[in-house]
Amino acid sequence: MTETTPFVKPEHGTMSRYAAMEALGRRLDDALVILSLGGAVDEWYSAAPHMRAASLFQQQLGCVTGEALGLAVGLPHRRIVSLDTDGGLLFNLGIMATVANEQPANLFIVVWDNEQYQSIGGPKTHTASGRVDLAAIARGCGIANAFTVDTLDEFDAHCAAGLAATEPYLLVAKTDGILEPGIKRKHSDGREDKYIFVRHVEETEGIVIMGPSEHN
Amino acid sequence: MQAEAVDAVIRGLKRAGISVVCYLPDSLFKELYPALDADPDIRTIQVTNEGEGAAIAGGVFLSGKRAVLIMENSGLRAAVEHLARMGLGAGIPVVMLMSYRGDLGENNWWAIPHGITMEPILDALRTPYQVIRHADEIEQAIVDASTWSHTAYYHSAVALSGEIVR
Repeated sequence: MTETTPFVKPEHGTMSRYAAMEALGRRLDDALVILSLGGAVDEWYSAAPHMRAASLFQQQLGCVTGEALGLAVGLPHRRIVSLDTDGGLLFNLGIMATVANEQPANLFIVVWDNEQYQSIGGPKTHTASGRVDLAAIARGCGIANAFTVDTLDEFDAHCAAGLAATEPYLLVAKTDGILEPGIKRKHSDGREDKYIFVRHVEETEGIVIMGPSEHN
Repeated sequence: MQAEAVDAVIRGLKRAGISVVCYLPDSLFKELYPALDADPDIRTIQVTNEGEGAAIAGGVFLSGKRAVLIMENSGLRAAVEHLARMGLGAGIPVVMLMSYRGDLGENNWWAIPHGITMEPILDALRTPYQVIRHADEIEQAIVDASTWSHTAYYHSAVALSGEIVR
């Protein structure tokens, strides 16, 4: 039985999200990634450059883990990673109940929790109060493997477990809220990102998703 | 919902190559949901709200499989945020099949808003749709909506009304 004691919130997160992304990126090869909006987009773009084509960069609060579940259902043999956020997950907590009921064997969910809506300047989210425990909500929904971490070593160990799991695995990563300085901005928009991602899925799966017209 | 309409929906989904159905159950399609759950060729995913269902359907599209979101037309209001971001922002399509609550003939006061808001919301989202009132038109309407969405990479909708859902 895995330890599931309640997370006790420290006063401030100290883990760098960028460092955590680098650690996760080192563990990814042929996985597909869907990620949320905000600073995490540019950080992931730079922290895991080998995963750019395999990552769908979305600006869609509340869509990320839902889209990841759809991908996991459609490609059950492929590891799918959802990089969600505190604000994004709070927008639709119900997705955790749906994930639990569907029990995808290939879905690893990381929730970057910096306790703020960073992309609009940093107003706090509900997790900043210390009362709201996203991993406990996930466990209450029926995702048995749901944990909160605030150190890089713990994060990396849970990534290893989550990427090897055969049932849904949700990891809340408490981070320091400091945007990595000097990182490269991603230039493409959501439409271009979708084409890049779809062409990558087509190539690696040997399928056609967005094929030619009937006539030229 | 008429039994022949349930059969027509399932025939339409299969002809369209749709293998995943995201749904939030409603009363007018009451007989449809257990039939979908029982069909061995269809994976059903019951969702907690229609926006979530749209997101999951979008993810299924990205996997190369085809999905549909089935719901009451009131669910469109819950899904607008997700549909706008995925459709207008990224070109990720969602095919929708909805019951037309609040159409002329409606006798529940609470359903009137669903009828009044459905078509303007579809128009605001620039989503083409058909309102179908005869069971023999259902199958082709579903095939046509799916074909269009997988050509335009944008949302489309079929709303079932009239004798089909009475």
